[in-house]
Amino acid sequence: MNALSRRSVLKGMGATVALPFLEAMVPVRRATGAAPAPAPRRLVCIEMVHGSAGSSAIGVKKHLWAPAAIGRDFDLAPTSLRSLEPFRDLLTIVSNTDVDPANPFTAKEIGGDHFRSSAVFLTQAHPKQTQDGDVQAGVSIDQLFAQRFGQDTAIPSMQLCIESVDQAGGCGNGYSCVYTDAISWAAPNRPLPMMRDPRVVFDNLFSVLKAGGTRAERAERLAEDRSILDWLLSSVARLQKTLSPADRSRLADYLEHVREIERRIQIVEARNRSGELRELPAAPAGVPDSFSEHVKLMFDLQALAFASDVTRVFAFKLGRDASNRSYPESGFKGTFHETSHHSGREDKILNFATLNTFHVGLIPYFLEKLNNTPEGDGSVLDNTVLIYGSPMGDSNLHNHKRVPFFIAGRGAGALKGGLHLKAPNATPLANVMLGLLHTLGLEDLERFGDSEGAFELNAV
Amino acid sequence: MTKQLTTMMAVLALVGSISAQSKKAEGLTGTWNMGLQGGHVIPVALVLTQDGEALTGVVSMPTQKIGQTVDISLKGTYASAAFTLSGSVEGAKEPTTIEITGKLNEEGMLEGRVVMGGTSGPHGNMPYTAERLKERK
Repeated sequence: MNALSRRSVLKGMGATVALPFLEAMVPVRRATGAAPAPAPRRLVCIEMVHGSAGSSAIGVKKHLWAPAAIGRDFDLAPTSLRSLEPFRDLLTIVSNTDVDPANPFTAKEIGGDHFRSSAVFLTQAHPKQTQDGDVQAGVSIDQLFAQRFGQDTAIPSMQLCIESVDQAGGCGNGYSCVYTDAISWAAPNRPLPMMRDPRVVFDNLFSVLKAGGTRAERAERLAEDRSILDWLLSSVARLQKTLSPADRSRLADYLEHVREIERRIQIVEARNRSGELRELPAAPAGVPDSFSEHVKLMFDLQALAFASDVTRVFAFKLGRDASNRSYPESGFKGTFHETSHHSGREDKILNFATLNTFHVGLIPYFLEKLNNTPEGDGSVLDNTVLIYGSPMGDSNLHNHKRVPFFIAGRGAGALKGGLHLKAPNATPLANVMLGLLHTLGLEDLERFGDSEGAFELNAV
Repeated sequence: MTKQLTTMMAVLALVGSISAQSKKAEGLTGTWNMGLQGGHVIPVALVLTQDGEALTGVVSMPTQKIGQTVDISLKGTYASAAFTLSGSVEGAKEPTTIEITGKLNEEGMLEGRVVMGGTSGPHGNMPYTAERLKERK
């Protein structure tokens, strides 16, 4: 029996859909007697702006971010990470690190923290203060990973965001809006644009325009509420005939998942085009007004991309500096920017902690999705590493000390997990990122950003 | 043992004192990251030059438009670890003055108050602390 290639796709007139992992792909290795291919490692980098309540002096004492205990016996209950308790064995929490490159280096840079920080989170490099095209930061961690491990997939990496990133020119304090809007940098002078609209992400994943479909055909599909799967019926039928019952079931589940996500996007688009008053009137039709609905849709798309191995790397920006969005689903109605400037008052710090808890509380949804996506003898989650953090610490002071950061996932056994590690004072977060890159297979990398050495992530 | 402990404490006290004196010896010349304590802490650049007891400098105050600042030239004096600086906003709709008072504390930080005033009365009176900007290679 001829084995199915991992790169096989379902092709229709206007779309290309990559396949999920199927047993039929395995015999290639068995027949040749070659050693099993190593599981693909994947990386997801999530940035939330404005630090955390747990980075303030009161927040540290109350353990609003970092747990009290170091090592394995940490208690997440008081922290904003409490929703991650079911995944505690996958967590490596690293506390007490600083992001010094986000600090002002000159008098003119003082006051520009909100306009500079996002460019620093994944690069750990100090951005050049400019409003013109000569922007300069560093290569981001997701891109270093993608340049090494993302070249075997159709899309080396993808960049997603939740808030509006459509502003051009200068944003404030002499900084280009690129620094506020982009977290992923392919080169020190090449920030990568972020995708906010789930429809755009979906179409990119399934090459809707590249696979012979024209804009007119796409418009027709949107107008008729048709599915890309309608274009693939004969291709699916042909493949089904060659598969085992188990693989047929896997393929059917996967395609149903594709359809379900597409249907949700269509519902959002229909709602937003209905003329009803929107909370986000300027947002594209595919963007849900609800923050959690938007984030979950983006997580579903990432899980789908991993399942079909279209890409192995995502950068995902959850917020935008100085945003006045509110999150009523969190149980607190105050606006984000104002709440993050808590004046050092305990009651306000606790309100900000409620928002932090809400944001982190969306992560288990994604981890669960990945855990339920089979790959080999395990799940996609087994081979994925997710980092979550912020380039700011105490947003009331606009400082970059004691920044919130954690890693979820073991990266195919590279990380032990189940650990809270407290770094010595003034440790650069870049050390942790360098340690992670080494752990994930980039051992030859000597420096990253302002790193002074690699932080050991498996120490107890 | 007690004698050793006493000696060690004396040495530590001496080191601490030298360190504080050294910070003071630097004077006020340099770039300071001021945190104005309004509703939240607003970062403001303060660049000072000290010549004996004479002080000159520039403070970059935020305007009502987010991300924009206005530079205000300052003149003042520094004596007995305390200082006063004053200036006025060029081109303001009405005459607007700024007065910064403060002292250099033991940690090498500035602390004091900023008072903005105009013909219609005071515009703001805020405490602040300021940290010297780290020297970079």
